[in-house]
Amino acid sequence: MILRLLAVDFLKIRRKGLWLLTFIGPIGVVALQMVNYGVRKDYLFSLTDDHWQQYIGNVSAFTPLAIILGIVILTSFMASIEDETNAWKQLIALPVSKREVYLSKFTMISCLLFVSSIILLLMTYFYGLTLGLGEDIPYLQIIQYSLLPFFASLPVLGLQLWLATVCTNQAIPTTVGVISVIFAYSAMYLPDWVIWKWPSLDNQWDQPYLNGLMGIAMGLAIYLIGMTDFKRRDVK
Amino acid sequence: MEYIVETNQLTKQFGKEKAVDGVEIRIPKGEIYGFLGPNGAGKTTTIRMLLGLMRPSSGSVHLFGKDLKNNRIAILKRVGSLVENPSYYPHLTAYENLEAIRKIVDVPRARMKEVLKLVRLQDAANKKVKGFSLGMKQRLGIAAALLHQPELLILDEPTNGLDPSGIIEMRKLIKQLPEKYGITVVISSHLLSEVDQMATTVGVISKGKMIFQDSIEAMRRIAQASIHLRVNDPKAVHQALLVYGQKADIKENSVAIQTTADEEVASIVQYLVEQGFAIYRVEEEKRSLENIFLEMTKEEQIR
Ligand SMILES: Nc1ncnc2c1ncn2[C@@H]1O[C@H](COP(=O)(O)OP(=O)(O)OP(=O)(O)O)[C@@H](O)[C@H]1O
Ligand SMILES: [Mg+2]
Repeated sequence: MILRLLAVDFLKIRRKGLWLLTFIGPIGVVALQMVNYGVRKDYLFSLTDDHWQQYIGNVSAFTPLAIILGIVILTSFMASIEDETNAWKQLIALPVSKREVYLSKFTMISCLLFVSSIILLLMTYFYGLTLGLGEDIPYLQIIQYSLLPFFASLPVLGLQLWLATVCTNQAIPTTVGVISVIFAYSAMYLPDWVIWKWPSLDNQWDQPYLNGLMGIAMGLAIYLIGMTDFKRRDVK
Repeated sequence: MEYIVETNQLTKQFGKEKAVDGVEIRIPKGEIYGFLGPNGAGKTTTIRMLLGLMRPSSGSVHLFGKDLKNNRIAILKRVGSLVENPSYYPHLTAYENLEAIRKIVDVPRARMKEVLKLVRLQDAANKKVKGFSLGMKQRLGIAAALLHQPELLILDEPTNGLDPSGIIEMRKLIKQLPEKYGITVVISSHLLSEVDQMATTVGVISKGKMIFQDSIEAMRRIAQASIHLRVNDPKAVHQALLVYGQKADIKENSVAIQTTADEEVASIVQYLVEQGFAIYRVEEEKRSLENIFLEMTKEEQIR
């Protein structure tokens, strides 16, 4: 059943530009570095010898912002598709479990974000190759800094999805979304335990994996809370 | 008796206000049940509870003899519905809209063509619903509700916003469902006239309370014409009629009797004249079903 629901959710986002956004996000992040390196490559190269390291650092400076922004926009688009003619009541009056409806929404947006992360990975790698950053390609780091932010941002996804699906007034998730983006932008000033800091992969132990793992654990917890609340509530 | 829809003391409270209060619905198989009530009476709230979209504050819903609380999915497999304004995805075509439901209810693709034909939308199947007229959207909603061949169809004001020919067409469509497919239909409306030509049973709800539930014939009987006698002394005439063995009601300056049979009226008049009363007028008053309905809901509102 969950696969059928997922197919329906992907059908519903046709012609709505969600896929376009999925591609634009990572392309934008790497495009910023195209400008950066296009304008002042020599200067950047003069700063350090580890060009790959520097390049990955530059790319990943914008990844958390892009992914949080992506979460806010995708969840709000998804909700607006159902809210527009209040299709929730039609959907929930079908023989489906509310839990699976929620799971399907979560999975759909996760899929889009994951595709984004894969594109980011490929773009980072291939554009990096054209820059002549050196023979020693840090594959592991490229993978880490492209995919881990996705896992680390699952708690924010859980929160935004929850608000977008249960709030009748979309001003609430939008406001929280704006705050999320601001937090993601100022990640370096936040303490380690704040979920909005996690996508930056920054922590006091210098273990990016930790953020990914915490993201999965906390994401799961917030997902379960959101799903339980969605199930318990009257349909809007 | 086995009921398709049965609610027991169904109640929904929003804050302090009871939007639905102790409603007992009984709908046998194959009926077209007209669920009537003025705006804000609690029709939509009741219907939402019948579909499991809202949890009752207290009371229970049984569909097909099963408790909705524990068998929601199994029950909803047999129920089609259209609640309030039709829901659809405007950026998708009619066909894609149905496909989004078909995938969930898991019926063959051919069924989509069938229902589109049934509501006469086959020519608009590949057009985006955004450009549909209200009537077309409403019909698409019905098609979606019928997609999985439900045994119970619940329609909340399906004629809302339709023009007269749209209403007639909708009525025709709904009327054939019990005969052709054995479907039981619940249809809500705030106008009796909209359902009186198809409903076999009516339930009237007002201020959250069910104030009438019986066959449409029973309602018609209430609506039967009565004879009004304008007389010099209504009180005395009323007394005399009771002595004579004829039930009567005192109105402002007349006395009303329920019988309309010519012979009976003649003998009553003759009797009153013999008793020495002066009879000024003998009038027949016909009450329409709509009037009965209005009176019912009005009384409830004054109380
Ligand atoms: N979600 C809600 N929260 C608070 N009050 C509600 C809610 N839904 C309905 N009500 C109230 O419950 C009452 C009954 O509303 P309902 O929509 O069931 O009426 P209705 O009979 O369908 O009316 P209409 O003919 O206008 O559709 C109204 O007073 C309404 O204000
Ligand atoms: Mg209503």
